[in-house]
Parts: sequence; C-alpha cells; structure tokens
Amino acid sequence: MALEVLLVEDSKTQAAQIKETLESVGLRVRVAYDGPDGIREAIENPPALVVLDVKLPSMDGFQVCRRLKRNPATQDIPVIMLTEKAGPQATMSGLRAGADDYIPKDIFASEHLIGTLQELGILE
Amino acid sequence: MEATSPYHMRPPIMSVKVEDSMDIMIVRDTARRAASLLGFAPAHRAQLASAAATLAELVLKTGEAHTIHLNGIIDGMATGLQISSETPWLAGVSANNVLVALRSKLGDLVDEIMLHGSEPPTIIMVMWLGENNSRPASADRD
Repeated sequence: MALEVLLVEDSKTQAAQIKETLESVGLRVRVAYDGPDGIREAIENPPALVVLDVKLPSMDGFQVCRRLKRNPATQDIPVIMLTEKAGPQATMSGLRAGADDYIPKDIFASEHLIGTLQELGILE
Repeated sequence: MEATSPYHMRPPIMSVKVEDSMDIMIVRDTARRAASLLGFAPAHRAQLASAAATLAELVLKTGEAHTIHLNGIIDGMATGLQISSETPWLAGVSANNVLVALRSKLGDLVDEIMLHGSEPPTIIMVMWLGENNSRPASADRD
C-alpha cells in the first residue's frame, strides 16, 4: 500500500502540481488548504510525511510546523517546507520550527523534494 | 579563477559564474548537490543552499560577473563544505565592516565566515560535517 502524504498548500494550482509530483513516485496525497485544517488532518489521520507551504491563510507554515512538532501525536512525522520564501531568515525560521528540510519553490524543487523523500525513507 | 582556502581542498569542486538572477537558483541547487555529496543531512543542505544563494545575490548586486566556488575541505579529521567568492568589488571597504554585515545576515546558517587573502580578498563561508548534521550512513542517495 502506498504511503500517504499530507500536503498543506493554499494555492489550488500549486497543490495540483506538487500532488502530481508526489503521485508520480507512487505516493498517495491528501490536501489541506489551510494551517488549522492541516493540523487537524495530521492528528486525526497521521500521514507518513507533511509537505507544508509557508504562506498560508490564518496560520503560517512556521506555526503549523511548530504545532505539529509539539504534539506527541504528530511530532515524529517528517515535515518538508516547500516555499517561495527562500531567504536566510525564513530558512532558519523553518528549520528552527522543526522542519526536516526547507526547499524553495524553484525549477529544481521537484528533484530536491524527491531526493529528500528518499533520504527520509519515504521512498525506496 | 580557481578557489582558494585556508584549508586543504577535496572534491566536490564546483563553480558557478553569477551573471543574472537565474544563476542564484543554480548556485542554490549546486550548493545542495555539493552538500549532498559530502553527506550533509537535508536540513543542513538547506542552510548551505540559502547561504550560497545569499552570497550570489550579493555578487549579482555588484553589476559584474563573479564566480562562486563550492568545494569540499578537510582540516585534520574534519570534513566540510566551503562556499567562496573573490571580492574585487570590496576594494576600499573595511574588512571588519564586511564581516560584521555578513555574520549578521548569514551567521546562523554556517559555522565560519571569513575574509581570506588580499588583492582581492575572498569571502569564505564554511559548514563542518559533524554527527549532528550528517545523514545516516544508510541514506546514501539524492
């Protein structure tokens, strides 16, 4: 059975693109379109991995990541932040929030995402 | 122009000429690849990629093409990744001021930031590979 990824991304267009990348390597993908929904989904039905945008309505990705890493039910789920905020401060904010990787959304993003999934043992 | 270092250099040795904004993305990607080859864990790859991209942005702002070098280094038993660029564009600027500014912006991302040599000096940033930032031996992919 394919492992399931929870994708938290408010842009439907970008969610569809990331979903396609993840499904192309055999993963199942659930999408939450804001932070509170993402947290609820992760607690109620823990996925193998969370892929998290930073710019989200109502609660940003850093807060979502901190909440997931503080909750015993979700703290061991790897989190990859996939974001347009690529500067040094944003990178350190993501990693300090507990993210396992912080990948800017650029033309290399899919390749780096898949590489990290392999290293985390999500993909064989 | 070849990379210089106060440390002994080892592969990987990669260079990217920074001429336009697309090159910032290429520098970031190259840094991730170099860090991966040396065995850095994903989170530390992200830090090195961000530091390299920030240096590339700085280089681009000079209005002239300059090269960013990414290479492995060895100091005794320690292995690390060095990101460097010659800085003729810093002529006449206080080295101390440059270091203060760089450390303020990038100090959290890397272990060392220094100016090496003179005429022109080279900006060098280093992250050392240790138990806390290397990937498990079984995860030999990317």
